[in-house]
Amino acid sequence: MVAVASPRFGQRPASPATLAELEKLTERLARKPAAHLLVDGLSIGYSTLRGRFHAVEDVSFEVPAGTNLGLVGESGCGKSTVVKTLMGLQPEATQVSGRALLDGQNILGLDETALRDVRWKRMSLITQSAMNSLDPVYCIGDQISEAILAHEPVSKATAWARAEQMFALVGLPAGRLYEFPHMFSGGMRQRAVIAMALALNAGLLLADEPTTALDPIMQSQIMTRIRGIHAHLRCSMILVTHDIAVVAETCENIVVMYAGKVAESGPTAEVLESPLHPYTMGLKNAFPRLPERGAPRQPLISIPGVVPNLLLPPAGCRFASRCPFATEVCHRVTPPVVQVGAQRAACHHTDRAAEFRVAAARPETWRTMRGAV
Amino acid sequence: MSTRHAIDPSAPLVIEAQDLKTHFQGRSGILSALVGVKPPSARALDGVDLRIREREIVGLVGESGCGKSTLGMTLVRMYQPTDGQILYRGEDITKVEGRRLKAYRHSAQIIFQDPYSSLNPRLTIGQVIEEPLIIHGIGTAAERREKVIRALELVRIPAEGNIDRYPSDLSGGQRQRVAIARALVLEPKFIVADEPVSMLDVSIQASVLELLDELSRELGLAVLYISHDIATVGYICNHVAVMYLGRIVEEGRSEDVLMRPLHPYTQRLMDAIPRMTPGETPERIELRGDVPSPLAVPPGCRFSSRCPYATALCEAVEPALSDQAEAHRVRCHIYDDRAARAHPDLPAPRAGKITEVAETGALVAAAEDARWQS
Amino acid sequence: MKQASPHTPAAIRGRSAWSAAWDSWRQVMQDSFAVVGVSILLLFVIIALTAPYLAPFDPFKAMMTETGRLARLRPPSGEHLLGTTAFGNDVLSQFLHGFRVALLVGLVAAIAVGFISTLFGVLSGYFGGWVDDVLMRITDVALSIPTLPFSIVAVALLGPSIENIILVITVLFWRNGARIIRSAVLTERERVYVKWARAAGASHFHIIMRHILPNIIRVVFLWVTMSVAFAVLTEASLSFLGLGDPTVISWGQMLNTAFSSGNLRTAWWWVVPPSLALVMLVSALYLIGRAYEEQTNPRLRKR
Repeated sequence: MVAVASPRFGQRPASPATLAELEKLTERLARKPAAHLLVDGLSIGYSTLRGRFHAVEDVSFEVPAGTNLGLVGESGCGKSTVVKTLMGLQPEATQVSGRALLDGQNILGLDETALRDVRWKRMSLITQSAMNSLDPVYCIGDQISEAILAHEPVSKATAWARAEQMFALVGLPAGRLYEFPHMFSGGMRQRAVIAMALALNAGLLLADEPTTALDPIMQSQIMTRIRGIHAHLRCSMILVTHDIAVVAETCENIVVMYAGKVAESGPTAEVLESPLHPYTMGLKNAFPRLPERGAPRQPLISIPGVVPNLLLPPAGCRFASRCPFATEVCHRVTPPVVQVGAQRAACHHTDRAAEFRVAAARPETWRTMRGAV
Repeated sequence: MSTRHAIDPSAPLVIEAQDLKTHFQGRSGILSALVGVKPPSARALDGVDLRIREREIVGLVGESGCGKSTLGMTLVRMYQPTDGQILYRGEDITKVEGRRLKAYRHSAQIIFQDPYSSLNPRLTIGQVIEEPLIIHGIGTAAERREKVIRALELVRIPAEGNIDRYPSDLSGGQRQRVAIARALVLEPKFIVADEPVSMLDVSIQASVLELLDELSRELGLAVLYISHDIATVGYICNHVAVMYLGRIVEEGRSEDVLMRPLHPYTQRLMDAIPRMTPGETPERIELRGDVPSPLAVPPGCRFSSRCPYATALCEAVEPALSDQAEAHRVRCHIYDDRAARAHPDLPAPRAGKITEVAETGALVAAAEDARWQS
Repeated sequence: MKQASPHTPAAIRGRSAWSAAWDSWRQVMQDSFAVVGVSILLLFVIIALTAPYLAPFDPFKAMMTETGRLARLRPPSGEHLLGTTAFGNDVLSQFLHGFRVALLVGLVAAIAVGFISTLFGVLSGYFGGWVDDVLMRITDVALSIPTLPFSIVAVALLGPSIENIILVITVLFWRNGARIIRSAVLTERERVYVKWARAAGASHFHIIMRHILPNIIRVVFLWVTMSVAFAVLTEASLSFLGLGDPTVISWGQMLNTAFSSGNLRTAWWWVVPPSLALVMLVSALYLIGRAYEEQTNPRLRKR
């Protein structure tokens, strides 16, 4: 494809001065350490016409510097709300409580000026719909270099050269920086958004369903990119997705959310190998997999029932109405968070998890609950 | 719901497509019409053969824009095919109109992807399911109610207490069941399910798939299950066809295609599915570029512009579907040397290790990588 | 939600069009501005219906003083609550009869406008293709007609009667409505259930009546409400220009006579009532229309 010349930059090789400045900028940015994030007791509430409710309640997790955390759950579980609130993008009149310490600094409730300093520079966001995060009337290169110029004292040419560097990183030819968002395909647009999010080498990357709208092949290509970039930029990352398999491949740690609360968290390998919470067990068994040669085929199991209405949250455990192992106490008492090894689960019966795991792999276990469509 | 039962090859054919083509002609403006320039046509569906028998579920997979939905819509006569034939129980319904078309619509139904907008919010569940009966003028009000209740039972929704509710009171999974009940109330023989679970949460997808599987057995339905998610296909389909840019590139029994994919595209599609084993990431080949536009289909093999094995032969000659094993067919020169023998001057592709790095960007990235590390 | 009892009738029940209309009416009435608008409108309708009984005199009758002279330009008094005109007519009686004309013209024209624009909008939006092309080109031509010159010429040629004024108003206002309704239909046409109904073999008539019309009826209603206001204003303008029906009394005509007899500045009792009534009626209709629009277009809804 032929590059369209930008009136502002033209397409010419960078001058020695620009290159020198770029090198300094790159070095400066590369020295940025990966961020550490500690979320503690985060609750997010909304007031609607039908009453107040908590979209997120008492969520706590930690992202150690340089690691990946997968935040998974089904639609409406509050995972995207958490990320939006961390970025300070929640709607006005949202009640937020709890703490989110980014390298020790609480980033909840910062004012706009302070937020501007945190966004992009220390924490950046890759959104689900790339089309909404790009401005259709500016060429992509202008948008990326604007973001750089807003935070780094460099010349325009250097900012542009940095944008070229970022495009190379996500596998897009530098010439396409001169093009406008509508000239890109969906996958390319998503890569451009990733390039933009990376431009200032933020210590923490928040990726909110970065591949949901894409085809499976493009999805795997983008995820491969993100993994590669993460490996060599050594930043921290939170990956929000409904796809536990993507988390299994990408993240060291996982947080499973259900109906606004954390059901289970811990190292991905352990949580997926030996889940403690019945919801994690159900989610894992519901996930379609490819048949493996020689291995007996695992049946696909669905979880009966529906997610509770958060306007009228049930007493006790929120998963109890759909849980085949629920006992009387589950419907009455909010379960405590129990630590087993490195895993934490909000369940009354973590001591019987091994027994549950065997039962949960059988479709009959869940089918007995079929009454509630 | 493990591997699906084998299909009796003598079971009657319900639907058969022969060399089916659906091209969409762009609308020409007054100026180009005066000059006599014809706008290019999009070859969405470009020569597809497909057969579905009673009690059989055929999976149709491919990326968005590959023509899989167009095939579904053409088979239920929502799009008029440009060429080829559709046979319903041996009867040619490609061009029927009027009463015979309405009769066909009675026996072929379609279920759409979006459970949220596929039900009119102003109608009750009962009215929604009753509507096809009204359209086809079936029964008295009381008889129709009977049929609606039976259809709700089929999709495991108790009629009592649900028949007078509105779609907004139901969850996504329940709405999709209602949409299935609406399709079933006419007692069709053939159902196209176009991505019926892709908008549902993972935890309830299985129940809808299971329902389709059971219904096909109980009612002897022929089902075309369209999906971009090749993993779900393995659970309910007897037979799988993989589409790329308007054509089937590989088809066969679902175990065969899923366990031993032959076409480079199918292999890549399978590779793309993340494995559930933590920490284990398979090596994935990056494909070049995007799917070409159906407005400008490449001359040779349609996948050649992105295929890591492609050679000059692939770019010049389109491969034919060749039989590999029982019912397993693939459209690729690697498995079929007829074209290579006819064109000895063109180098033929061979399967093997891929040396070429897919995209220039990746090379630059590798170079960058080295620099950043230093 | 109501549970189905064992005594449910044997047929499938649903919400009738009436109950849907009732629901949206109740929603509109939650808006306090709409309540004001509806109250004013209701009052106007009652006055219009009872005008012949409320009016103390024949509006055309010239009043005489005891001395046998014409009671010209009498300011409000116990006998003539709103005074008299330059021709000795009772202003109150004329004013009250004006309600009838305003509402008659408004309603009839608005219903005609609503019918024609719905027909055009639905046909061209639903069928698309050449039907859309033909109908929309006709609409474009209609849109290019300049409002005031056209109405003056048309009424002058056809003759000044209420029927002709209504005809002119209808011809002028269906065109914008057709465009608005067409765009609403274009959205509805793309719904998955419409696609499904076609696949199930439903006729176009069935789809339009069951899936399209019920979902655009709010837009139609909004346009009809607005058309009442346009029609009332247009009738007043035409009458003010001297093109009104001479056999009836309308507010525009009252203003016209006040103006042409040179008393517009002095005889306030003659000028203020019709002007104020016009403003109130049109404002009331806009208030109702605004509430409806807010409801139809969720983006305007208050958070």
